[in-house]
Amino acid sequence: MKYMILLYGSQQDYDSMAGKPVPGKPTWTGEDFAAMGGFMASFSKDLVESGELVSTRGLTAPVHARRIQLRSGVPVVTDGPYAETQEVLAGYWIVECESFDRATEIAARLTTCPGPEGAGDRAVVDVRPIADSRAELDA
Amino acid sequence: MSDTETEDLLRELAPRVLGALVRRYGHFGTAEDATQEALIAAARQWPSEGLPANPQGWLITVASRRLTDLLRADQARQRREDAVAQWVLPGDWVAPAADTPAADRDDTLILLFMCCHPALTPASQIALTLRAVGGLTTGEIARAFLVPEETMTRRITRAKRQIKTSAVPFRLPAATERAERLDAVLHVLYLIFSEGYASTSGPALQRTELAAEAIRLTRIVHALLPTDGEVTGLLALMLLTDARRLARSGPSGELIPMADQDRSRWDAAYIAEGVALITGVLGRSPAGPYQLQAAIAAIHDEAPSAGATDWPQIMALYKLLMQLSDNPVVRLNHAVAVAMVHGPHAGLELLAALGTDERIANDHRLSAVTAHLLELAGDHPAARDAYLTAATQTTNLPQQRYLNAQAARLVGNQ
Repeated sequence: MKYMILLYGSQQDYDSMAGKPVPGKPTWTGEDFAAMGGFMASFSKDLVESGELVSTRGLTAPVHARRIQLRSGVPVVTDGPYAETQEVLAGYWIVECESFDRATEIAARLTTCPGPEGAGDRAVVDVRPIADSRAELDA
Repeated sequence: MSDTETEDLLRELAPRVLGALVRRYGHFGTAEDATQEALIAAARQWPSEGLPANPQGWLITVASRRLTDLLRADQARQRREDAVAQWVLPGDWVAPAADTPAADRDDTLILLFMCCHPALTPASQIALTLRAVGGLTTGEIARAFLVPEETMTRRITRAKRQIKTSAVPFRLPAATERAERLDAVLHVLYLIFSEGYASTSGPALQRTELAAEAIRLTRIVHALLPTDGEVTGLLALMLLTDARRLARSGPSGELIPMADQDRSRWDAAYIAEGVALITGVLGRSPAGPYQLQAAIAAIHDEAPSAGATDWPQIMALYKLLMQLSDNPVVRLNHAVAVAMVHGPHAGLELLAALGTDERIANDHRLSAVTAHLLELAGDHPAARDAYLTAATQTTNLPQQRYLNAQAARLVGNQ
Protein backbone atom coordinates (compact mmCIF):
# COMPACT_ATOMS: atom_id res chain seq x y z
CA MET A 1 0.00 0.00 0.00
CA LYS A 2 1.25 3.48 -0.81
CA TYR A 3 1.44 6.45 1.53
CA MET A 4 2.59 10.03 1.11
CA ILE A 5 4.78 11.57 3.82
CA LEU A 6 4.57 15.36 3.73
CA LEU A 7 7.15 17.67 5.29
CA TYR A 8 6.20 21.28 5.98
CA GLY A 9 8.19 24.44 6.41
CA SER A 10 7.76 28.19 6.11
CA GLN A 11 9.64 30.78 4.07
CA GLN A 12 11.35 31.72 7.32
CA ASP A 13 12.50 28.12 7.79
CA TYR A 14 13.96 28.13 4.28
CA ASP A 15 15.67 31.44 5.03
CA SER A 16 17.24 30.38 8.29
CA MET A 17 18.48 27.17 6.65
CA ALA A 18 19.98 29.27 3.88
CA GLY A 19 21.99 31.10 6.51
CA LYS A 20 19.94 34.26 6.67
CA PRO A 21 19.37 35.71 10.14
CA VAL A 22 15.63 35.48 10.93
CA PRO A 23 14.31 36.99 14.17
CA GLY A 24 12.85 34.25 16.33
CA LYS A 25 14.50 31.48 14.30
CA PRO A 26 17.76 29.73 15.22
CA THR A 27 20.90 30.25 13.17
CA TRP A 28 22.02 27.31 11.05
CA THR A 29 25.79 26.89 11.00
CA GLY A 30 27.63 25.11 8.22
CA GLU A 31 27.91 22.04 10.46
CA ASP A 32 24.17 22.11 11.22
CA PHE A 33 23.37 22.23 7.52
CA ALA A 34 25.80 19.42 6.69
CA ALA A 35 24.36 17.25 9.44
CA MET A 36 20.82 17.83 8.19
CA GLY A 37 21.88 17.01 4.65
CA GLY A 38 23.63 13.84 5.81
CA PHE A 39 20.55 12.75 7.72
CA MET A 40 18.19 13.31 4.80
CA ALA A 41 20.49 11.43 2.45
CA SER A 42 20.72 8.41 4.72
CA PHE A 43 16.97 8.56 5.46
CA SER A 44 16.12 8.26 1.79
CA LYS A 45 18.93 5.75 1.17
CA ASP A 46 17.59 3.44 3.86
CA LEU A 47 14.17 3.53 2.20
CA VAL A 48 15.70 2.70 -1.16
CA GLU A 49 17.49 -0.27 0.37
CA SER A 50 14.39 -1.52 2.13
CA GLY A 51 12.53 -1.27 -1.16
CA GLU A 52 9.94 1.03 0.35
CA LEU A 53 10.80 4.25 -1.45
CA VAL A 54 8.71 5.03 -4.51
CA SER A 55 9.57 8.69 -5.02
CA THR A 56 10.87 11.70 -3.11
CA ARG A 57 11.32 15.38 -3.96
CA GLY A 58 12.07 18.67 -2.25
CA LEU A 59 10.19 21.78 -3.26
CA THR A 60 11.72 25.22 -3.78
CA ALA A 61 11.03 28.14 -1.46
CA PRO A 62 7.36 29.22 -1.10
CA VAL A 63 8.10 32.57 -2.71
CA HIS A 64 8.38 30.73 -6.06
CA ALA A 65 4.85 29.35 -5.86
CA ARG A 66 1.95 30.37 -8.07
CA ARG A 67 -1.69 30.05 -7.05
CA ILE A 68 -4.50 29.79 -9.58
CA GLN A 69 -8.04 30.72 -8.62
CA LEU A 70 -11.19 31.63 -10.47
CA ARG A 71 -12.29 35.23 -10.40
CA SER A 72 -15.61 35.72 -12.15
CA GLY A 73 -15.06 32.47 -13.96
CA VAL A 74 -11.60 33.42 -15.23
CA PRO A 75 -8.46 31.67 -13.96
CA VAL A 76 -6.22 34.22 -12.33
CA VAL A 77 -2.67 33.58 -11.16
CA THR A 78 -1.21 34.98 -7.95
CA ASP A 79 2.52 35.00 -7.33
CA GLY A 80 3.86 34.16 -3.89
CA PRO A 81 0.50 33.50 -2.19
CA TYR A 82 1.96 32.42 1.14
CA ALA A 83 2.80 34.56 4.17
CA GLU A 84 6.34 34.43 5.53
CA THR A 85 5.44 32.31 8.55
CA GLN A 86 2.93 30.08 6.82
CA GLU A 87 3.77 26.35 6.88
CA VAL A 88 3.65 25.02 3.34
CA LEU A 89 4.70 21.77 1.70
CA ALA A 90 8.49 21.62 1.59
CA GLY A 91 8.99 18.08 0.35
CA TYR A 92 7.41 14.64 0.10
CA TRP A 93 8.21 10.93 0.14
CA ILE A 94 5.94 8.36 -1.46
CA VAL A 95 6.53 5.02 0.22
CA GLU A 96 5.07 1.60 -0.39
CA CYS A 97 4.89 -0.44 2.79
CA GLU A 98 2.88 -3.05 4.58
CA SER A 99 0.76 -0.85 6.83
CA PHE A 100 -0.22 2.66 7.88
CA ASP A 101 1.69 2.06 11.11
CA ARG A 102 4.86 1.27 9.21
CA ALA A 103 4.43 4.47 7.15
CA THR A 104 3.89 6.37 10.40
CA GLU A 105 7.07 4.89 11.86
CA ILE A 106 9.02 6.07 8.80
CA ALA A 107 7.52 9.53 9.04
CA ALA A 108 8.29 9.80 12.73
CA ARG A 109 11.98 9.23 11.98
CA LEU A 110 11.99 12.56 10.13
CA THR A 111 11.43 14.39 13.42
CA THR A 112 14.82 13.13 14.65
CA CYS A 113 16.55 15.15 11.93
CA PRO A 114 19.48 17.08 13.48
CA GLY A 115 19.42 20.86 13.53
CA PRO A 116 20.16 23.84 15.74
CA GLU A 117 18.34 24.11 19.04
CA GLY A 118 14.69 24.97 18.53
CA ALA A 119 14.66 24.29 14.81
CA GLY A 120 12.36 21.31 15.14
CA ASP A 121 10.02 22.75 17.74
CA ARG A 122 7.24 23.42 15.31
CA ALA A 123 8.10 20.68 12.86
CA VAL A 124 5.10 19.10 11.21
CA VAL A 125 5.12 15.84 9.27
CA ASP A 126 1.92 14.36 7.84
CA VAL A 127 1.24 10.84 6.55
CA ARG A 128 -1.63 10.13 4.20
CA PRO A 129 -2.76 6.95 2.48
CA ILE A 130 -2.73 7.22 -1.31
CA ALA A 131 -5.88 6.07 -3.08
CA ASP A 132 -5.14 2.94 -5.10
CA SER A 133 -7.93 3.52 -7.52
CA ARG A 134 -10.87 5.76 -8.26
CA ALA A 135 -13.05 3.17 -6.61
CA GLU A 136 -11.39 3.81 -3.30
CA LEU A 137 -12.23 7.49 -3.47
CA ASP A 138 -15.86 6.75 -4.20
CA ALA A 139 -16.22 4.40 -1.23
CA MET B 1 41.40 36.64 -17.82
CA SER B 2 41.35 40.18 -19.13
CA ASP B 3 38.49 42.59 -18.55
CA THR B 4 37.49 42.47 -22.22
CA GLU B 5 37.51 38.69 -22.30
CA THR B 6 35.35 38.63 -19.18
CA GLU B 7 32.99 41.14 -20.77
CA ASP B 8 32.67 39.07 -23.95
CA LEU B 9 32.04 35.91 -21.95
CA LEU B 10 29.40 37.60 -19.81
CA ARG B 11 27.61 39.01 -22.86
CA GLU B 12 27.55 35.54 -24.36
CA LEU B 13 26.22 33.91 -21.18
CA ALA B 14 23.68 36.63 -20.33
CA PRO B 15 20.73 35.33 -22.37
CA ARG B 16 21.40 31.74 -21.31
CA VAL B 17 21.29 32.70 -17.64
CA LEU B 18 18.15 34.79 -18.07
CA GLY B 19 16.54 32.05 -20.13
CA ALA B 20 17.28 29.46 -17.46
CA LEU B 21 15.77 31.67 -14.77
CA VAL B 22 12.61 32.60 -16.65
CA ARG B 23 12.07 29.05 -17.81
CA ARG B 24 12.28 27.83 -14.22
CA TYR B 25 10.64 30.59 -12.22
CA GLY B 26 8.91 32.95 -14.63
CA HIS B 27 8.94 36.61 -13.56
CA PHE B 28 10.69 37.85 -16.68
CA GLY B 29 11.09 41.42 -15.41
CA THR B 30 12.47 40.56 -11.97
CA ALA B 31 14.56 37.73 -13.41
CA GLU B 32 16.13 40.24 -15.81
CA ASP B 33 17.06 42.53 -12.92
CA ALA B 34 18.50 39.58 -11.00
CA THR B 35 20.54 38.50 -14.02
CA GLN B 36 21.94 41.99 -14.48
CA GLU B 37 23.08 42.03 -10.85
CA ALA B 38 24.76 38.64 -11.19
CA LEU B 39 26.56 39.87 -14.32
CA ILE B 40 27.75 42.98 -12.48
CA ALA B 41 29.01 40.86 -9.57
CA ALA B 42 30.87 38.57 -11.99
CA ALA B 43 32.41 41.51 -13.84
CA ARG B 44 33.75 42.72 -10.51
CA GLN B 45 34.97 39.43 -9.08
CA TRP B 46 36.13 37.24 -11.96
CA PRO B 47 39.02 39.37 -13.27
CA SER B 48 40.68 39.41 -9.86
CA GLU B 49 39.51 36.11 -8.34
CA GLY B 50 39.69 34.08 -11.53
CA LEU B 51 37.02 32.33 -13.58
CA PRO B 52 34.80 29.85 -11.71
CA ALA B 53 34.93 26.23 -12.91
CA ASN B 54 31.40 26.57 -14.28
CA PRO B 55 30.77 30.23 -15.13
CA GLN B 56 27.23 29.69 -16.38
CA GLY B 57 26.31 27.70 -13.27
CA TRP B 58 27.84 30.37 -11.05
CA LEU B 59 25.77 33.07 -12.73
CA ILE B 60 22.55 31.03 -12.55
CA THR B 61 23.08 30.30 -8.86
CA VAL B 62 23.80 33.92 -7.96
CA ALA B 63 20.95 35.20 -10.11
CA SER B 64 18.49 32.67 -8.64
CA ARG B 65 19.29 33.75 -5.09
CA ARG B 66 18.92 37.37 -6.05
CA LEU B 67 15.60 36.62 -7.77
CA THR B 68 14.25 35.07 -4.59
CA ASP B 69 15.32 38.13 -2.60
CA LEU B 70 13.75 40.51 -5.07
CA LEU B 71 10.49 38.56 -5.17
CA ARG B 72 10.30 38.55 -1.37
CA ALA B 73 10.74 42.31 -1.24
CA ASP B 74 8.24 42.79 -4.06
CA GLN B 75 5.55 40.62 -2.52
CA ALA B 76 6.02 42.05 0.97
CA ARG B 77 5.58 45.52 -0.46
CA GLN B 78 2.51 44.48 -2.40
CA ARG B 79 0.94 42.97 0.67
CA ARG B 80 1.52 46.17 2.57
CA GLU B 81 -0.10 48.12 -0.24
CA ASP B 82 -2.97 45.62 -0.38
CA ALA B 83 -2.15 45.19 -4.03
CA VAL B 84 -1.98 41.63 -5.21
CA ALA B 85 0.44 40.31 -7.82
CA GLN B 86 -2.08 38.73 -10.15
CA TRP B 87 -2.36 38.11 -13.84
CA VAL B 88 -4.69 36.23 -16.12
CA LEU B 89 -3.61 32.94 -17.63
CA PRO B 90 -3.20 33.01 -21.40
CA GLY B 91 -6.07 30.96 -22.78
CA ASP B 92 -3.77 28.69 -24.73
CA TRP B 93 -2.22 27.27 -21.55
CA VAL B 94 -5.06 24.92 -20.80
CA ALA B 95 -3.70 22.26 -23.12
CA PRO B 96 -0.06 22.26 -24.28
CA ALA B 97 0.42 22.50 -28.05
CA ALA B 98 0.62 19.11 -29.73
CA ASP B 99 3.96 19.98 -31.27
CA THR B 100 5.62 21.16 -28.06
CA PRO B 101 8.93 19.33 -27.85
CA ALA B 102 9.67 17.62 -24.53
CA ALA B 103 12.76 19.63 -23.71
CA ASP B 104 13.06 22.86 -25.65
CA ARG B 105 16.52 24.25 -25.10
CA ASP B 106 16.28 27.25 -27.41
CA ASP B 107 15.94 29.66 -24.51
CA THR B 108 17.67 32.49 -26.33
CA LEU B 109 15.22 32.21 -29.20
CA ILE B 110 12.29 32.20 -26.77
CA LEU B 111 13.73 35.29 -25.08
CA LEU B 112 13.99 37.00 -28.45
CA PHE B 113 10.36 36.23 -29.25
CA MET B 114 9.34 37.59 -25.84
CA CYS B 115 11.30 40.80 -26.25
CA CYS B 116 9.85 41.36 -29.71
CA HIS B 117 6.29 40.63 -28.64
CA PRO B 118 3.69 42.63 -30.63
CA ALA B 119 2.29 44.12 -27.41
CA LEU B 120 5.46 46.25 -27.16
CA THR B 121 6.27 49.38 -29.17
CA PRO B 122 9.23 49.06 -31.58
CA ALA B 123 11.35 51.27 -29.33
CA SER B 124 10.59 49.01 -26.38
CA GLN B 125 11.26 45.89 -28.41
CA ILE B 126 14.66 47.23 -29.39
CA ALA B 127 15.62 48.32 -25.88
CA LEU B 128 14.50 45.08 -24.28
CA THR B 129 16.21 42.91 -26.91
CA LEU B 130 19.50 44.71 -26.42
CA ARG B 131 19.19 44.35 -22.65
CA ALA B 132 17.89 40.83 -22.23
CA VAL B 133 19.46 39.11 -25.23
CA GLY B 134 22.34 41.43 -26.05
CA GLY B 135 23.43 41.76 -22.45
CA LEU B 136 24.09 45.48 -22.85
CA THR B 137 23.71 47.69 -19.80
CA THR B 138 21.01 50.34 -19.75
CA GLY B 139 23.71 52.98 -19.94
CA GLU B 140 25.23 51.43 -23.05
CA ILE B 141 21.84 51.24 -24.77
CA ALA B 142 21.01 54.82 -23.79
CA ARG B 143 24.27 56.11 -25.23
CA ALA B 144 23.79 54.12 -28.42
CA PHE B 145 20.39 55.75 -28.96
CA LEU B 146 21.52 59.14 -27.75
CA VAL B 147 18.92 59.42 -25.00
CA PRO B 148 19.47 60.04 -21.28
CA GLU B 149 19.96 56.89 -19.24
CA GLU B 150 16.88 57.70 -17.17
CA THR B 151 14.73 57.70 -20.30
CA MET B 152 16.06 54.32 -21.36
CA THR B 153 15.56 52.91 -17.85
CA ARG B 154 11.92 53.98 -17.93
CA ARG B 155 11.47 52.51 -21.40
CA ILE B 156 12.86 49.15 -20.32
CA THR B 157 10.82 49.07 -17.10
CA ARG B 158 7.66 49.87 -19.07
CA ALA B 159 8.48 47.15 -21.57
CA LYS B 160 8.92 44.57 -18.82
CA ARG B 161 5.61 45.59 -17.28
CA GLN B 162 3.90 45.16 -20.66
CA ILE B 163 5.31 41.66 -20.92
CA LYS B 164 4.00 40.86 -17.46
CA THR B 165 0.48 42.13 -18.15
CA SER B 166 0.38 40.36 -21.49
CA ALA B 167 1.27 37.18 -19.58
CA VAL B 168 3.52 36.01 -22.40
CA PRO B 169 4.35 32.39 -21.62
CA PHE B 170 7.97 31.22 -21.72
CA ARG B 171 7.90 29.02 -24.77
CA LEU B 172 8.13 29.31 -28.53
CA PRO B 173 5.08 30.83 -30.22
CA ALA B 174 2.57 28.34 -31.66
CA ALA B 175 3.42 27.13 -35.16
CA THR B 176 0.58 29.19 -36.63
CA GLU B 177 2.04 32.38 -35.14
CA ARG B 178 5.69 31.62 -35.57
CA ALA B 179 6.26 33.14 -39.02
CA GLU B 180 4.67 36.42 -37.96
CA ARG B 181 6.53 36.55 -34.66
CA LEU B 182 9.83 35.75 -36.38
CA ASP B 183 9.13 38.62 -38.77
CA ALA B 184 8.87 40.89 -35.74
CA VAL B 185 12.21 39.63 -34.39
CA LEU B 186 13.95 40.14 -37.73
CA HIS B 187 12.43 43.60 -38.04
CA VAL B 188 13.77 44.60 -34.61
CA LEU B 189 17.23 43.32 -35.50
CA TYR B 190 17.05 45.22 -38.79
CA LEU B 191 16.07 48.40 -36.93
CA ILE B 192 19.02 48.00 -34.56
CA PHE B 193 21.34 47.54 -37.52
CA SER B 194 19.88 50.56 -39.33
CA GLU B 195 20.38 52.73 -36.24
CA GLY B 196 23.98 51.61 -36.09
CA TYR B 197 24.58 51.96 -39.79
CA ALA B 198 22.94 55.35 -40.23
CA SER B 199 25.56 57.09 -38.05
CA THR B 200 23.99 60.37 -38.96
CA SER B 201 24.75 61.98 -35.62
CA GLY B 202 26.69 61.37 -32.44
CA PRO B 203 30.14 59.86 -32.08
CA ALA B 204 30.63 57.35 -34.87
CA LEU B 205 32.11 54.72 -32.57
CA GLN B 206 28.96 54.03 -30.60
CA ARG B 207 26.89 53.64 -33.71
CA THR B 208 29.36 51.12 -35.09
CA GLU B 209 28.91 49.00 -31.99
CA LEU B 210 25.16 48.90 -32.57
CA ALA B 211 25.63 47.56 -36.08
CA ALA B 212 28.09 44.96 -34.74
CA GLU B 213 25.61 44.02 -32.01
CA ALA B 214 22.83 43.57 -34.58
CA ILE B 215 25.08 41.28 -36.59
CA ARG B 216 26.04 39.32 -33.48
CA LEU B 217 22.41 38.77 -32.48
CA THR B 218 21.40 37.84 -36.02
CA ARG B 219 24.23 35.31 -36.10
CA ILE B 220 22.76 33.73 -32.97
CA VAL B 221 19.31 33.50 -34.58
CA HIS B 222 20.89 32.08 -37.73
CA ALA B 223 22.67 29.42 -35.68
CA LEU B 224 19.36 28.47 -34.05
CA LEU B 225 17.36 28.56 -37.31
CA PRO B 226 19.93 27.71 -39.99
CA THR B 227 17.39 26.71 -42.63
CA ASP B 228 15.25 29.85 -42.46
CA GLY B 229 15.69 31.81 -45.70
CA GLU B 230 14.84 35.25 -44.35
CA VAL B 231 17.08 34.89 -41.29
CA THR B 232 19.97 33.96 -43.59
CA GLY B 233 19.00 36.78 -45.92
CA LEU B 234 19.01 39.33 -43.11
CA LEU B 235 22.42 38.21 -41.87
CA ALA B 236 23.81 38.36 -45.40
CA LEU B 237 22.27 41.81 -45.92
CA MET B 238 23.83 43.14 -42.72
CA LEU B 239 27.28 41.75 -43.55
CA LEU B 240 27.19 43.02 -47.14
CA THR B 241 26.03 46.46 -46.01
CA ASP B 242 28.41 46.77 -43.07
CA ALA B 243 31.27 45.71 -45.37
CA ARG B 244 31.15 49.17 -46.93
CA ARG B 245 31.14 51.08 -43.66
CA LEU B 246 34.70 52.39 -43.66
CA ALA B 247 34.35 53.74 -47.22
CA ARG B 248 31.03 55.48 -46.57
CA SER B 249 32.39 58.60 -44.94
CA GLY B 250 35.27 60.86 -45.83
CA PRO B 251 37.98 62.32 -43.59
CA SER B 252 35.73 65.17 -42.42
CA GLY B 253 32.81 62.83 -41.81
CA GLU B 254 31.12 63.68 -45.11
CA LEU B 255 28.99 61.00 -46.76
CA ILE B 256 30.32 59.36 -49.90
CA PRO B 257 27.82 57.72 -52.28
CA MET B 258 28.55 54.15 -53.31
CA ALA B 259 29.59 55.03 -56.84
CA ASP B 260 32.39 57.22 -55.48
CA GLN B 261 33.56 54.93 -52.68
CA ASP B 262 37.08 53.52 -52.51
CA ARG B 263 36.25 49.82 -52.89
CA SER B 264 39.64 48.78 -51.53
CA ARG B 265 38.33 49.91 -48.14
CA TRP B 266 35.41 47.48 -48.29
CA ASP B 267 35.67 44.49 -45.92
CA ALA B 268 36.46 41.54 -48.18
CA ALA B 269 35.83 38.93 -45.49
CA TYR B 270 32.34 40.24 -44.76
CA ILE B 271 31.60 40.36 -48.47
CA ALA B 272 32.77 36.80 -48.99
CA GLU B 273 30.69 35.58 -46.08
CA GLY B 274 27.60 37.55 -47.15
CA VAL B 275 27.84 36.33 -50.74
CA ALA B 276 28.26 32.72 -49.61
CA LEU B 277 25.24 32.98 -47.31
CA ILE B 278 22.90 34.48 -49.89
CA THR B 279 24.08 32.21 -52.68
CA GLY B 280 23.48 29.20 -50.48
CA VAL B 281 19.94 30.13 -49.61
CA LEU B 282 18.50 31.63 -52.80
CA GLY B 283 16.42 29.25 -54.85
CA ARG B 284 15.68 26.97 -51.89
CA SER B 285 12.30 28.59 -51.31
CA PRO B 286 10.44 31.67 -52.55
CA ALA B 287 12.73 34.56 -51.73
CA GLY B 288 11.53 37.01 -49.11
CA PRO B 289 12.40 40.72 -48.91
CA TYR B 290 15.59 40.33 -46.85
CA GLN B 291 16.94 37.73 -49.25
CA LEU B 292 16.20 39.97 -52.23
CA GLN B 293 17.84 42.96 -50.60
CA ALA B 294 20.84 40.82 -49.73
CA ALA B 295 21.07 39.60 -53.33
CA ILE B 296 21.08 43.22 -54.53
CA ALA B 297 23.76 44.14 -51.98
CA ALA B 298 25.82 41.15 -53.13
CA ILE B 299 25.73 42.35 -56.72
CA HIS B 300 26.95 45.79 -55.67
CA ASP B 301 29.66 44.39 -53.40
CA GLU B 302 30.96 41.93 -55.99
CA ALA B 303 31.41 44.57 -58.66
CA PRO B 304 35.11 45.50 -58.86
CA SER B 305 34.12 49.04 -59.81
CA ALA B 306 30.95 51.13 -59.97
CA GLY B 307 31.05 50.91 -63.76
CA ALA B 308 31.14 47.11 -63.67
CA THR B 309 27.94 46.84 -61.63
CA ASP B 310 25.39 44.37 -63.04
CA TRP B 311 22.49 46.83 -63.17
CA PRO B 312 20.13 44.63 -65.25
CA GLN B 313 20.26 42.00 -62.49
CA ILE B 314 19.69 44.65 -59.84
CA MET B 315 16.76 46.02 -61.82
CA ALA B 316 15.17 42.58 -62.04
CA LEU B 317 15.61 42.01 -58.30
CA TYR B 318 14.04 45.37 -57.41
CA LYS B 319 11.10 44.44 -59.63
CA LEU B 320 10.65 41.26 -57.58
CA LEU B 321 11.04 43.23 -54.36
CA MET B 322 8.33 45.66 -55.45
CA GLN B 323 5.91 42.75 -55.69
CA LEU B 324 6.59 41.86 -52.06
CA SER B 325 6.81 45.33 -50.60
CA ASP B 326 4.74 48.46 -51.11
CA ASN B 327 7.59 50.59 -49.79
CA PRO B 328 8.07 53.70 -52.01
CA VAL B 329 11.81 53.64 -51.31
CA VAL B 330 11.97 50.29 -53.09
CA ARG B 331 10.27 51.87 -56.10
CA LEU B 332 12.78 54.71 -55.90
CA ASN B 333 15.71 52.31 -55.99
CA HIS B 334 14.07 50.45 -58.86
CA ALA B 335 13.86 53.72 -60.80
CA VAL B 336 17.60 54.26 -60.26
CA ALA B 337 18.33 50.77 -61.61
CA VAL B 338 16.06 51.39 -64.61
CA ALA B 339 17.95 54.61 -65.33
CA MET B 340 21.28 52.76 -65.21
CA VAL B 341 19.98 50.18 -67.71
CA HIS B 342 17.64 52.16 -69.99
CA GLY B 343 18.96 55.67 -69.60
CA PRO B 344 18.04 58.64 -67.39
CA HIS B 345 14.78 59.51 -69.16
CA ALA B 346 13.30 56.08 -68.44
CA GLY B 347 14.19 56.55 -64.77
CA LEU B 348 12.81 60.12 -64.69
CA GLU B 349 9.45 58.89 -66.00
CA LEU B 350 9.17 56.49 -63.07
CA LEU B 351 10.19 59.22 -60.63
CA ALA B 352 7.47 61.50 -61.94
CA ALA B 353 4.91 58.80 -61.08
CA LEU B 354 6.45 58.46 -57.60
CA GLY B 355 6.01 62.18 -57.08
CA THR B 356 2.28 61.53 -56.62
CA ASP B 357 2.92 59.12 -53.74
CA GLU B 358 2.40 61.19 -50.62
CA ARG B 359 4.72 59.05 -48.59
CA ILE B 360 7.78 60.04 -50.60
CA ALA B 361 6.72 63.14 -52.55
CA ASN B 362 8.54 65.50 -50.16
CA ASP B 363 11.39 63.17 -49.31
CA HIS B 364 14.90 64.47 -49.98
CA ARG B 365 15.84 61.14 -51.50
CA LEU B 366 13.31 61.54 -54.32
CA SER B 367 14.61 65.03 -55.06
CA ALA B 368 18.23 63.89 -54.89
CA VAL B 369 17.71 60.96 -57.26
CA THR B 370 15.74 63.21 -59.61
CA ALA B 371 18.62 65.68 -59.54
CA HIS B 372 21.14 62.95 -60.29
CA LEU B 373 19.18 61.67 -63.29
CA LEU B 374 18.57 65.20 -64.62
CA GLU B 375 22.31 65.72 -64.49
CA LEU B 376 22.89 62.48 -66.40
CA ALA B 377 20.31 63.63 -68.93
CA GLY B 378 22.31 66.84 -69.39
CA ASP B 379 19.81 69.28 -67.84
CA HIS B 380 22.15 70.95 -65.36
CA PRO B 381 19.97 73.93 -64.31
CA ALA B 382 17.07 71.61 -63.42
CA ALA B 383 19.47 69.21 -61.67
CA ARG B 384 20.89 72.05 -59.58
CA ASP B 385 17.40 73.20 -58.54
CA ALA B 386 16.50 69.66 -57.56
CA TYR B 387 19.64 69.31 -55.40
CA LEU B 388 18.86 72.60 -53.65
CA THR B 389 15.28 71.45 -53.06
CA ALA B 390 16.57 68.16 -51.64
CA ALA B 391 18.82 70.08 -49.25
CA THR B 392 15.79 71.89 -47.82
CA GLN B 393 13.93 68.62 -47.34
CA THR B 394 16.37 67.10 -44.86
CA THR B 395 17.40 68.32 -41.42
CA ASN B 396 20.46 66.12 -41.43
CA LEU B 397 23.55 68.30 -41.66
CA PRO B 398 25.98 65.93 -43.43
CA GLN B 399 23.28 65.20 -46.00
CA GLN B 400 22.57 68.92 -46.48
CA ARG B 401 26.25 69.63 -46.98
CA TYR B 402 26.49 66.85 -49.57
CA LEU B 403 23.42 68.04 -51.51
CA ASN B 404 24.45 71.69 -51.48
CA ALA B 405 27.92 70.69 -52.64
CA GLN B 406 26.38 68.82 -55.57
CA ALA B 407 24.34 71.89 -56.47
CA ALA B 408 27.42 74.13 -56.23
CA ARG B 409 29.37 71.75 -58.45
CA LEU B 410 26.80 72.19 -61.21
CA VAL B 411 26.92 75.98 -61.22
CA GLY B 412 30.34 76.01 -62.78
CA ASN B 413 29.36 73.38 -65.35
CA GLN B 414 26.64 75.37 -67.05
